[in-house]
Amino acid sequence: MKFKEKWLSSDGWYRRGPILPAFIFLLVVTQIPFLFSIYYSLTSWKANQVRIPREFIGIQNYIDLFDDRFFKSAAWISITMTVSAVLLSILLGIIFALLLDRKFFGQGIVRTLIITPFLVMPVVAALVWKNQFLGANFGILNWLLELFGFDTIEFASKQPFWSIVAVLVWQWTPFMMLIILAGLQSQSDSVLEAAKVDGANKRSTFFQITLPHLRPYLELGVLLGVIYLSQVFDHISVIRVSSKSKNVPYYVFERSIGGGWEFGQASAYSIVVVIASIIIATFGLRVLSGLIADNEGA
Amino acid sequence: MKKFLLSLSTWVLAILFFFPVFWMFLNSFKTDFDASTDPKLFFSPTLEQFREVIDSKFWEAFASSFFIVIVSTIIVMLLAVPAAYALSIKPIPKWRDMLFFFISTKFLPIVAGILPIYILADALSLLNSRTVLIILYTAMNLPLAVWMLNSFFREVPKELIEAARIDGASIRSQITSVILPIVAPGLAATALLCFIFAWNEFFFALQLNVNDYQTVPIWVKGAVDERGNFIAELSAASTLATMPVIIAGWFAQKKMIRGLSMGAIK
Amino acid sequence: MAEVEYRSVSRTFPGSEIPAVSNLNLKIESGELLVLVGPSGSGKSTALRILAGLEPQDEGSIHIDDKDVSEFQPQARDIAMVFQNYALYPQMTVAANMGFALKQKKIPKAEREKRVLEAAKILDLVPYLDRKPKNLSGGQRQRVAMGRAIVREPKVFLMDEPLSNLDAKLRVQTRAELSELQERLKVTTVYVTHDQVEAMTMGDRVAVLDHGVLQQVDKPSVLYSKPSNKFVAGFIGSPAMNFFDVTKTDNAQLMFKGSEISLKDELQNKIKKSKTSNLSLGVRPEHLKISDNGIAGKVRLIEALGSESYIHVSVDDAKSIIIRVEGNATVKQGELVNVSFGDTLHVFNEDGSRV
Repeated sequence: MKFKEKWLSSDGWYRRGPILPAFIFLLVVTQIPFLFSIYYSLTSWKANQVRIPREFIGIQNYIDLFDDRFFKSAAWISITMTVSAVLLSILLGIIFALLLDRKFFGQGIVRTLIITPFLVMPVVAALVWKNQFLGANFGILNWLLELFGFDTIEFASKQPFWSIVAVLVWQWTPFMMLIILAGLQSQSDSVLEAAKVDGANKRSTFFQITLPHLRPYLELGVLLGVIYLSQVFDHISVIRVSSKSKNVPYYVFERSIGGGWEFGQASAYSIVVVIASIIIATFGLRVLSGLIADNEGA
Repeated sequence: MKKFLLSLSTWVLAILFFFPVFWMFLNSFKTDFDASTDPKLFFSPTLEQFREVIDSKFWEAFASSFFIVIVSTIIVMLLAVPAAYALSIKPIPKWRDMLFFFISTKFLPIVAGILPIYILADALSLLNSRTVLIILYTAMNLPLAVWMLNSFFREVPKELIEAARIDGASIRSQITSVILPIVAPGLAATALLCFIFAWNEFFFALQLNVNDYQTVPIWVKGAVDERGNFIAELSAASTLATMPVIIAGWFAQKKMIRGLSMGAIK
Repeated sequence: MAEVEYRSVSRTFPGSEIPAVSNLNLKIESGELLVLVGPSGSGKSTALRILAGLEPQDEGSIHIDDKDVSEFQPQARDIAMVFQNYALYPQMTVAANMGFALKQKKIPKAEREKRVLEAAKILDLVPYLDRKPKNLSGGQRQRVAMGRAIVREPKVFLMDEPLSNLDAKLRVQTRAELSELQERLKVTTVYVTHDQVEAMTMGDRVAVLDHGVLQQVDKPSVLYSKPSNKFVAGFIGSPAMNFFDVTKTDNAQLMFKGSEISLKDELQNKIKKSKTSNLSLGVRPEHLKISDNGIAGKVRLIEALGSESYIHVSVDDAKSIIIRVEGNATVKQGELVNVSFGDTLHVFNEDGSRV
């Protein structure tokens, strides 16, 4: 007990110990590839030109990046796709959560049904939607359209962006719903009762009491949603690859192992994405959010 | 009356929302002809698709996936629990920066990370192995697990920890006897999320594993490539592929909600 | 059984300018029940937590049984604590809760069970040993918290407002039981409360704290009859002591609103030596009486408790004093009365110190 008898605050390593395994593991596994990426981004590595050696070209790749309109287009797609998918799934998630925050018959079953899309493999989800729903020949949506006398639309090719967003929203709404439902259920009954007694109707209770209470939950949803949805790849590759639907991850893929073999350039793109993400996240998490703000634990 | 309508609309919405999954499930039992023509709800069911699709590769893929996903999830939990303790109960001085670091590791698009990872894996002779996927999935899920567990741990009343310390409990004892029983639903929620993300992961599995040790997502893709337009067969494959996660999710979802509402968020 | 000593202990919370505990010197005798009492923010809980090792001290040292434990973790100090909210482990049964610390010490199961059973018998908890905290009443939970402490046979018991979550009647009953228990077990106990009635009834000695500074530590009766400063005088005793702003005359008399107050010689001598002429006269409610002559006032309110009554008299518009009488009051609300002083008077300087 001798070592542990020491006062904790003077024994930093004892306090830091528990986090070391996780920290070191993550450091090694993620930072080494990251450093390599930085290195590659400073070279002119074209992996399919074996005869031309890889040269160190400094920040040339980064300079080229600013002229690359495909990258800009992909960046724009990334942003709009992520924002649309996150916003729509949060909105839908709020609606579902509100509907589920009541007692009614078969509540558990309904919840289970709504959760399922999140559990489905992205590739599978994309395939099912592409073939079965959006497809011009056999898709159900088109079948419905025909029923009502409209022309069929090949959604996947005519509206690749929104087709993809549709599937993303379908899959991620349950995730948002769960988080928001947790938030709704953690409201204090007495506060809600007090609002009732004070004469607030459902609408003002929602906007003035519930919504502020939900803020940390919404922030978590946005944070995780942005992290995961900005990396979407499977859905794009399955549903439709076009200039209207390529986001940055897919573009980077195309330029590197997906056929471009421009490893140097692609790495530069990735590094730019990381830097941009860190800046945005720092601003978002530290300034706007309460998630890592100055409130201590319970 | 209003309540009834509300409940009814909830049910309708839920069914509509669930419909694509149901449809996929339905298609698994159709003949190819039935599945490829105009959508029908009524048909004579058959199991031939399943028979076509369940070959030895299927069992291998399932075994691989289970092994990889379960091992990596266990490792994630083993690493994340003490880490969360160090961020919440007895916070290290720079816990906010640490939390930020953890989440920032997810900013590098995996499509970019694949280059160096491929090269490294090759150099370490880890290509084509389950180990490389276990390592990667662990790294992929660890930030989320640490983040979530940190929030759950913070919900444990400070006094309980103090009482345990006074009672002479070591850190390990505090965690196992006091904290974990209280945050158990949160633990379940976290483990389930890790399971889902690892099970459904496609990109790394594709790029790093060529033939041996295919995971289920790869196997499904294989079912598509070879079979092109055979929707019914694909549906059967997809149904089988997604079943484990769906079942796990269905069983654990109550825990998940309890877990999340316990305080995944401050 | 152990002596506990605070030596010049100070603690300021980071970000705060005022110390929570300031230069605390306090020695607690072996087997004694010492109460730390004071209003909120007085530093009493902080002082207790420093003793427990849950809060570090910035200066000074803590000694248990002559051993300097200042650097030791709570685990190593051989103390047991009862928390205000009991802090029972929710997933464990009562028996497991009580046996937890013993398990940490790796005491074998048979011995553990024996000790838990003994403690349970003392506290009347035997029928509840297999229940979980959520299935217990407040009073039962409080006893489990006590049991958890007793079972460890520690050197010191620390109690942080252990009765404040009980309803009034239960509190009175448990107070008595706790006192008896402590007498029996003879374990040095440091007891924190904001309730001065608890302090007076339970403590062998009572230490009064205000804003982190120790005001006085003495037997309850001494605190009551000889408070060393105005704060202690006003804090101890319920209803509180009445204070009058008086001025000292040239011949060492006291004047209140133009009338002189008769003083005993002893007191007069002390007043002669006082530094200033603006003084404060403190009189307890039971030392005032309604009489024919004295200060004029009007009865504002009467609180009749049955065994005694408190008469609130407004002496001028701003000031109200309380008089205690046995049984029922003979005056009525709104009546004009005169109030005279009894024999026991306390006089304080402007800075609060006793004259």
